[in-house]
Amino acid sequence: MGKKICWGIIFITIAINVVMLQWTIEAYLGLEYEKIYGYTIVGVVSAIIAFITFLKWRKLEYTSE
Amino acid sequence: MTDKKKLGLNKKDSNDDMINLVDNLNRDDDMKFNRRAFLKTAVGTSIALGLATVPFSVRAMLGMAEEEFERTEIAKTADVPKGSSVTFKYPTDNDPALLIHTKNGDWLAYNSACPHLMCPVFYEPEKEELVCPCHKGYFDLHSGQPMAGPPQRELPLIEIDISNGVVYAIGRKVRHG
Repeated sequence: MGKKICWGIIFITIAINVVMLQWTIEAYLGLEYEKIYGYTIVGVVSAIIAFITFLKWRKLEYTSE
Repeated sequence: MTDKKKLGLNKKDSNDDMINLVDNLNRDDDMKFNRRAFLKTAVGTSIALGLATVPFSVRAMLGMAEEEFERTEIAKTADVPKGSSVTFKYPTDNDPALLIHTKNGDWLAYNSACPHLMCPVFYEPEKEELVCPCHKGYFDLHSGQPMAGPPQRELPLIEIDISNGVVYAIGRKVRHG
């Protein structure tokens, strides 16, 4: 997995998390509690993926000189 | 003693522009604001956004108990002629609501706090529509859905029951239609 792919994945996770936060707030205001959990799970998993991808990028970035 | 003057850090004994390329006034910024820092910030943003959904789930868990609705008297049918409305509070005293008797004889009830910025929504009998005068928000009378203006969500629907000339509130649907 190259560095550019890591960049792409990280930006995709940002997009996903923006949407998840928006949907979560909408569901919360609509008292649709059962939907909130799904959105939170997706958001947290996406954040974890972003972090793991960052670790991978860091490894590539600082050892490929 | 030599005539050589002491040279500064990174200075060469030459006046050639291509030699003394060390005067980067933005050096500190270049160390702070660069490609690597940008990506780290992007990762932080992504994690922050993802984790920002968690408090809503926690609040949802704490308030997960189903709303329990009491059968509450709103008004007597004789007191609300066609083309008029009355205000009431349902399901709690913090939830203002509107009971509407349309010109066609239909009975409708909605929570009347505008989803935009919580201004009170009014029934406009001439045009048979629900209006939030604060920012010109319009709602469909028969569905409570936003029609125009800033509101993005529908008005919560109050379920009503009419018996023996009395209108009762018996439930509420926040999402409907």
